[in-house]
Amino acid sequence: MKIKVKEEWCVSQAQLEAGAEVGAGVIALDPTFESDDAKNEPIDDSRVALQRFVELSRRQKNLSRQQLAEQADIDLSELEGIETDMHYMPETRTLYQLANVLGVSQKKLMGLSGLTQPKDVSYVEEAVRYAARSESISRLTPEEQAALDGLIAVLSEK
Amino acid sequence: MSVAEMPDISPISLFDPTAGSAVPAELWDGITDKNLGDWEVEWLPELLKRLRILHGQGVARSKWPQSRLWDWRRKLQAIEGLLANQCFSIVCNDMTQAMMITDLTHRAKLDAKQAAHLVYVEYLETAPWNRKEIIGQEPRLSGCGSIMIRAAIELSKEEGFQGRVGLHSLPQANNFYANQVGMEDLGIDKDYQNLRYFELTPEKAEAYITKGQQP
Repeated sequence: MKIKVKEEWCVSQAQLEAGAEVGAGVIALDPTFESDDAKNEPIDDSRVALQRFVELSRRQKNLSRQQLAEQADIDLSELEGIETDMHYMPETRTLYQLANVLGVSQKKLMGLSGLTQPKDVSYVEEAVRYAARSESISRLTPEEQAALDGLIAVLSEK
Repeated sequence: MSVAEMPDISPISLFDPTAGSAVPAELWDGITDKNLGDWEVEWLPELLKRLRILHGQGVARSKWPQSRLWDWRRKLQAIEGLLANQCFSIVCNDMTQAMMITDLTHRAKLDAKQAAHLVYVEYLETAPWNRKEIIGQEPRLSGCGSIMIRAAIELSKEEGFQGRVGLHSLPQANNFYANQVGMEDLGIDKDYQNLRYFELTPEKAEAYITKGQQP
């Protein structure tokens, strides 16, 4: 398809536009619940479970954060936020990408993060219990491995 | 269609605000490997540089460019082989300045009884250096958004949709679509991440074209 448009029209409109933002399209917004006072909100147990699941999974695969971020095609800062800041609200896309790489249900990971309200909260409670059994050290202990196995089981598609 | 091999090329003009003069450019009827290469090699590093500055300044993420996570190569792969998607790109000085993907399967929300078809702008983005808000100074080139909307209108006419165009605007672009293009603001759409939905009627489309022709 070709179009015919006069230079005068282009220039006139361009001067009005003046470098303004013109972007259109979805999957671009930060989560709407993000607020400046988020840091003051109490930490939800499910967020702890999400943080533990991502960290344990990464360590089990012997991946650095940089490597996992590359595999999942997400920003390193996003992954660092999930693993180190319990108040951090990740992008929807980030969780989808992580769920794919880590082999668990996208919906359940979203529910665990608080980005969506799960209809069935039992798996969240179960995930929280598994997460509580692990402590953060460099190598996975048998207990941590068991906790991770449990997390994977409850977060997988059935 | 997806990655185009031989797009139709229409001569257009952009505006260089620093020089105060028109610059010859081209509207390509498609997005090619060259465009995607420009996006990967030129757009993304520039965008990252700007994000570092914003991050360093402690600017809230909600204020960062909202298209920063878009992956144009994946978007093109997603519509591979689909005839309902028409793509456009703008090239000037041998560099891609903007890209757009449209979808011809959407229906108008205004005058919904007629269920008229329209050209829906699925994605539209301009190069980081053409966005005043990102670079904090005069853009290298201005006018990409206006040309893309004009292209969407012309496509709409060609398809028999009478100039009808619809899109979900990124929040930072609401002013452009509401006030410069003159689109009807149908408010926040909860099904589209709370973005505002804008629609151009045949009358408003004609007014937009005529507006630019007035001295």
